[in-house]
Amino acid sequence: MKEVMEEAVLLFLLLVIYTPDAQGTRYSPPGKPELTRCRSPEKETFTCWWKPGSDGGLPTTHALYYRKENSDTIYECSDYHTAGENSCFFNKNDTSIWVNYNITVVASNALGSTFSDPVDIDVVYIVKPNPPEKVTVTVMELKEWPFLRVSWEPPHKADTRSGWITLIYELRVKLEGDDEWEMHLAGQQKLFNIFSLRSGGTYHVQVRCKPDHGFWSEWSSTSHIEIPDYLHREKSMWILIAVFSAFIFLILTWSLHMSSHRSLKHCILPPVPGPKIKGFDKQLLKNGKSEDLLRVLVVSDFPPTTPSNYEDMLVEYLEVYVPQEQEVLLEESKDLHDSCLKFEGSTSDNDSGRVSCDSHTLLMDKCGEAKEEGRQTDQEDSTTEAEAQGQQKDWDQDTLMYANGDILSPEKSSGRVKTWPSVFSPLPQYTLSLPDQTSSLEMAKQHCYSDSLFCPGSTSSYLTHLGNNDNETLGPGSWEICLSNRQPYSHIPQMQTCQQVRSHSDVNISTIARKQEPAGLPLPFFRPTAYVEVQRFDEEDMVVLQSIVSDHGFHEGFPQMLQQEDYSKVKGVDSNNMLLLQTEAMKEDGDGTTPHKPTAHIHTVVSTQDEMAQPASGYVDTATIFTLPTY
Amino acid sequence: MDRVVILLSVLCLGVSSQPITDSQYLFSIAVSRVQNLHLLAQRLFSNFESTLQTDDQHQLNKIFLQDFCNSDYIISPIDKHETQRSSVLKLLSISYRLVESWEFSSRSLTGGSALRNQISPRLSELKTGIQMLITANQDGAEMFPDSTALQLAPYGNFYQSLGDDELLRRNYELLACFKKDMHKVETYLTVAKCRFSPEMNCTL
Repeated sequence: MKEVMEEAVLLFLLLVIYTPDAQGTRYSPPGKPELTRCRSPEKETFTCWWKPGSDGGLPTTHALYYRKENSDTIYECSDYHTAGENSCFFNKNDTSIWVNYNITVVASNALGSTFSDPVDIDVVYIVKPNPPEKVTVTVMELKEWPFLRVSWEPPHKADTRSGWITLIYELRVKLEGDDEWEMHLAGQQKLFNIFSLRSGGTYHVQVRCKPDHGFWSEWSSTSHIEIPDYLHREKSMWILIAVFSAFIFLILTWSLHMSSHRSLKHCILPPVPGPKIKGFDKQLLKNGKSEDLLRVLVVSDFPPTTPSNYEDMLVEYLEVYVPQEQEVLLEESKDLHDSCLKFEGSTSDNDSGRVSCDSHTLLMDKCGEAKEEGRQTDQEDSTTEAEAQGQQKDWDQDTLMYANGDILSPEKSSGRVKTWPSVFSPLPQYTLSLPDQTSSLEMAKQHCYSDSLFCPGSTSSYLTHLGNNDNETLGPGSWEICLSNRQPYSHIPQMQTCQQVRSHSDVNISTIARKQEPAGLPLPFFRPTAYVEVQRFDEEDMVVLQSIVSDHGFHEGFPQMLQQEDYSKVKGVDSNNMLLLQTEAMKEDGDGTTPHKPTAHIHTVVSTQDEMAQPASGYVDTATIFTLPTY
Repeated sequence: MDRVVILLSVLCLGVSSQPITDSQYLFSIAVSRVQNLHLLAQRLFSNFESTLQTDDQHQLNKIFLQDFCNSDYIISPIDKHETQRSSVLKLLSISYRLVESWEFSSRSLTGGSALRNQISPRLSELKTGIQMLITANQDGAEMFPDSTALQLAPYGNFYQSLGDDELLRRNYELLACFKKDMHKVETYLTVAKCRFSPEMNCTL
């Protein structure tokens, strides 16, 4: 009994022992392996790697089988070790290009085997070369700016020389410490230059390659290179500071200069000069009334069609100037030449509406034109007056005569010279006319350009008539023809130049437009006492003058003008080429010229009556008639 | 006399070097053209594959292995060793035949019509270029007798009795084969170019 019990216990024990074993370990066939990748480094060999599955607890072996296309022969991988664990290396003999491989990995253990999924590959499309080799980086010195030259060689296995495989390269660069790489594609070349380096920096360089149809290789090992200091930081800083401070200094200097002289605006945008046309009213322009403006500018009725009032005309006057004591000698102005046609705007006329006839306008053309003037006076005496009057009409209101000779009308006879280019009146002759009226001195004013020119109707030379005031003690009968290129409003006609009346042909009897200017013209001085009209010019070189009733125009301020006096006789021509006139009633003055015609006088006929000049009396003038200074 | 000799030799060199220079130029052109064609083929194939379902893709892969390209009749080196062993002329002739076989068949390739229409004329031009290279290199060497003998129209029966599945498969095959052949020609021409003028420094 005991023997049976012992055997049962033993059996039981055995069972107990063995049973747990069977339950604890499960052996199973291996798990499914998986081909991870196949690569060929040079298109001549290739390697495949797989990942084994679970081994099922039992030692498992793997085998790789492959089949080429168009063939049913199954081959087994012949080299499991070259490429490492779980790999299969196909050598050159086993590798065919442009042939599809069907590869399978089999895992087998004691319990069974498991096949992996097959993979089809064509060697051509699985090429991944090795990284380029012998990467060298050198610093090349280019004057002072170095650059990096990177050179490398293809992986030694890749046969690029025979053209079997074509590689393209790529490199990347970064500064030490940076995170981002700078990529450069180098194509098929094995040399590359990198510029724009930071001085003193350390660079990392890497290269990789790729066949024309394939995968990029891994990056080569990093090459380090240090750039030498090619730019001193300090030096560069000093340079920068110097440049900056120079710049600031320049700016300061320039701004100071600008502020001291004038504003920048003036510098860059100089003010536009306003029009300086006599008779040109800026206000009119601004008002926009073109009609008014044009009227001012244009001679509206030329040729004259309507007779107008004498008094309204702008008449040329021969300004006669009676010296106080002695004869007035006509003096020649020295600078007639200058002033001859120089009507410029030395006197800038602030008031554009006013004429500055006095100044230049009445200059006679010394240039000789005047010589001819008097030629035919005698012939046309008869017509002169008519012409004068007719032409006075030209000077009708607001007619402005341009200095362009147009207005010097064709009416002039051929012999007449136009004295001045221009403006000077159409009167061919010089009529010493005493216009009673001054038509509008204003108009005359308007007609006279401040800058230029000429007072219409005024001829160059004129007889300046020294007005006789009450207080005047001017000697009667002597006249002085003066040219004045005086500035219009100066109280003292500084520049009055008197042109000598030349003896014969040069009688410049300039008719000067003269007006009595009623209010508004602070013209100085001159009160002509008489207006004389030149009747004719004698062969004997005598100017016959006739007085004209000239009551009207005279301003109240001159109540005592010598209106009644008749200065119609030319006494003679002075040695100084001054035409001496005398009234009939008056005796000739003594001999000699009035001493007060020294050189100083030549230029200026200073009006002694300045103080007495009524502002209202306005002679526009140019020719102004000045009272001789009482000496 | 010496001068005459020198002059003549220089002239001869000049004359003889002329075709070499021309051939180099022709080779370069041919290589670039075939590279372009290969890229086109790759694009066609990838476009086609992208339109397939995943299942079809697996299936087609399997099927593809069982079939073969019609250009397989052309015996061509399939590894580097063989390729390098072949003469330039042989490589050129093989390339010529490959291109010729696809010249008309390429019209039946599926894919974008724009791409497809470009392929055939380019193949014709490439064929002409290779022909020129062959004549330039012939110099009395004989052409391979096989080349003229085989005038197959391998794809003549291509579309006969094809069901939808088969059509799909055929298209896949065609595209894959075309791609492969273009790559072959590219490789052959590149090797031939480098062999022809070693001084050209194929590795650049």
